[in-house]
Amino acid sequence: MSEWLLSDQMVGNMLYVNSLLLMGGIYALMCLGLNVQWGFTGLFNAGIAGFAAVGAYTYAILTTFASGMHIGGYELPIWVGMLAAMIASGIIALAIGAICIRLRADYLAIATIGIAEIIKLILKNETAITNGPRGVAKIPRSWEHLGDARVAEKLPWRLFGEPSAYEGFFREWYPLLFMLTVVGFVLLVYLALEIARTSPWGRVMTAIRENEAAARAAGKNVTRLRIESFVVGAVIIGLAGAFYAQQLRFIEPTNAFDPTKLTFLVWVMLIMGGSGNNRGAVLGGLMLWVIWSGTELVIRFGANVLGDVFPDLSPSVLVTKASFLRLFLIGLILQFVLQRFPKGILPEVRPAALGGKTNEVRD
Amino acid sequence: MKKTLLVSAAALAFASVASAQVKVGNPMAVTGPIPDLVAPMVDAVNLAVAHVNEQGGVLGQEYVMVAADSGCDPAAAVDAVTKLVNVDQVSALIGPVCSGATIAQATSVAIPAGVVTLSVSASSPAISTLEEGTDLVFRTAASDAYQGVALAELAMASGISDIAVSYAQDDYNAALAAVFAEAFAAMGGNVTANEAHEPDKASYRSEVATMGSTSDNLALFAYYGSGGITLMRNALETGAFSTFIGADGMLSQETIDQIGGENMGAATFTTSASDPSRDAFQAWAALAEAAGVPASDPFVANSYDAAFMMALAIEAAGSADRDGIAAGLRAISGPDGETILPGEFAKAKEILAAGGSINYDGGSGPQDFDGNGDVAGFFSANVVVPKGSETKLTIGSKSYDPEYVWSSTLLN
Repeated sequence: MSEWLLSDQMVGNMLYVNSLLLMGGIYALMCLGLNVQWGFTGLFNAGIAGFAAVGAYTYAILTTFASGMHIGGYELPIWVGMLAAMIASGIIALAIGAICIRLRADYLAIATIGIAEIIKLILKNETAITNGPRGVAKIPRSWEHLGDARVAEKLPWRLFGEPSAYEGFFREWYPLLFMLTVVGFVLLVYLALEIARTSPWGRVMTAIRENEAAARAAGKNVTRLRIESFVVGAVIIGLAGAFYAQQLRFIEPTNAFDPTKLTFLVWVMLIMGGSGNNRGAVLGGLMLWVIWSGTELVIRFGANVLGDVFPDLSPSVLVTKASFLRLFLIGLILQFVLQRFPKGILPEVRPAALGGKTNEVRD
Repeated sequence: MKKTLLVSAAALAFASVASAQVKVGNPMAVTGPIPDLVAPMVDAVNLAVAHVNEQGGVLGQEYVMVAADSGCDPAAAVDAVTKLVNVDQVSALIGPVCSGATIAQATSVAIPAGVVTLSVSASSPAISTLEEGTDLVFRTAASDAYQGVALAELAMASGISDIAVSYAQDDYNAALAAVFAEAFAAMGGNVTANEAHEPDKASYRSEVATMGSTSDNLALFAYYGSGGITLMRNALETGAFSTFIGADGMLSQETIDQIGGENMGAATFTTSASDPSRDAFQAWAALAEAAGVPASDPFVANSYDAAFMMALAIEAAGSADRDGIAAGLRAISGPDGETILPGEFAKAKEILAAGGSINYDGGSGPQDFDGNGDVAGFFSANVVVPKGSETKLTIGSKSYDPEYVWSSTLLN
């Protein structure tokens, strides 16, 4: 039994599940960020890819080696890079928010799409800073490089003895540690947002979303609160962007931050999971990523079975053709879920008016 | 969580199907921005697999190519290769198509897992120096670094001493332009301007006017379909430039048809090419023609070579273990040993079984890896001539009968 558990195949399967939780976790973070903006406050942010790119590039440039291709060589610790990614994304959101936040729903959407494109064009054309379309490579990943000499030279790692003593450990176990870090952050952000949601701040956000005029009449500084929500969401998306850069270890402005795979996929995840519900956001992110990634295996299995049954068909040709079918399949699943659960799989649960914890009401 | 468990259970079920197979992963960019370019490349890979299996398979087992979709996208490539390496337990990988996808999957998944990547078309110079202390990334397509230098040599040889460089802002053209500008300056040339242009603009008059004041010669790195033709036409209309050189992005009949062959007398573009007199190219062309695969399309021969060399490498290593494959690739790529041409798998097997050494000579070139796992490229210079007076390096022609066509001569 234990031999079977430790076979290459089993370890490989576990590593794949690990990678599903990891990427799913990164998407769940983006969903949580969007949930603050759209689910809580009703701000239509269609520029998720732009904020994720700001986070990813900030992290990448601050933490990579000097490459001669982009500015950098700062080699800052990973946590500093992630903190800077959140701050940079937040500052951009603050600047944008100060200008555009008064725009109503669809106008804000148009403005944010435009801003995401501007960010992309800047990253693409400021080649001296970002290496332009050729991208930033060899981005350090959490845990993986802790045994490297350049990390080990710095305090406090010197205290743990020679890097050779623990290099092997981190090289072997970084996938699990990195996944746990991402999932830990998802949990942390989730808990923080749950507190925010049931707090007076969260209830004002709902009031702004449902009836802005009433909120204003009640004496709330609506513009300021909308900016707050926009910035908090952007900070979370920036953090997710930093994790995204770590997982890919290479980023470039065009394909890695393609709006269909970041902005619109994240929107679909949130709507599917349940907009306004933090648990729904996490569920949507994880679930849709598992479907997105897992369908390739399902299709490959199907192609192999077909290839066995009909020897004239080549599985490899079938898989090539079916790759296009995959997008269609995902669309079909979405249709089904949205027909069955129009408010998402986990619909929004509104906190009771007086902040009571037990008598939450379904909308 | 239930979903995750389901998927892992499903993955287990898939894995148990396999038996007595040598599995190699093949994450090609079948969806994404360049599916029509990739389709014949996939056909070439499958053709190589068929040839290997017809001749007894690898190590006496079936040679299986596990296809996946890297979509020319770093994120999709990392996901696809994670599945290939972990769930499918492939021995090695044959190429993500695009450079960005190749870099991401190699540094994120393949190198940490100790799996060899043999790319079929990634040409970014950054790939040469991806890994430190490992020997896990190879490619059968030449780095842009070679084509950029070949083009600089061509410019020098044609007596150009100063030149303005304009490149489209994408990873391929930007990288090529950087190599060219550096090489040209190192050879004593004067690069008078070096500017990026955004692809797909309606007009490039301001760009060509600015650069045209610095030199009469323009090095143009662009795709004909996304702005290259417009830029060249604007340059000719305004008289900003008289001589043009550039790389394969502009090589299309479309360029001639739209600009007019009589206007293109002073334009030379390079592309990677195979010397048609080589036995290896003849062998490949015959095999490809028999199977209906376009032998001379971009990177098609490179794709066949990659799939065939991987089979040879596993055979030479004597096992499908991931550890031995890099050494196997170096062993079969030469330059020493008996020459093996495309399709000659049984012959190679015999020589290897007898303890001999082999040197694969592919349709796309001799495929001898250097220390970085790169191969040297062969390039041709292409100019426009009236139909009938051209020299052709590649076989197979389109049924369409234009007035002017490209004429190629081999450079190195």
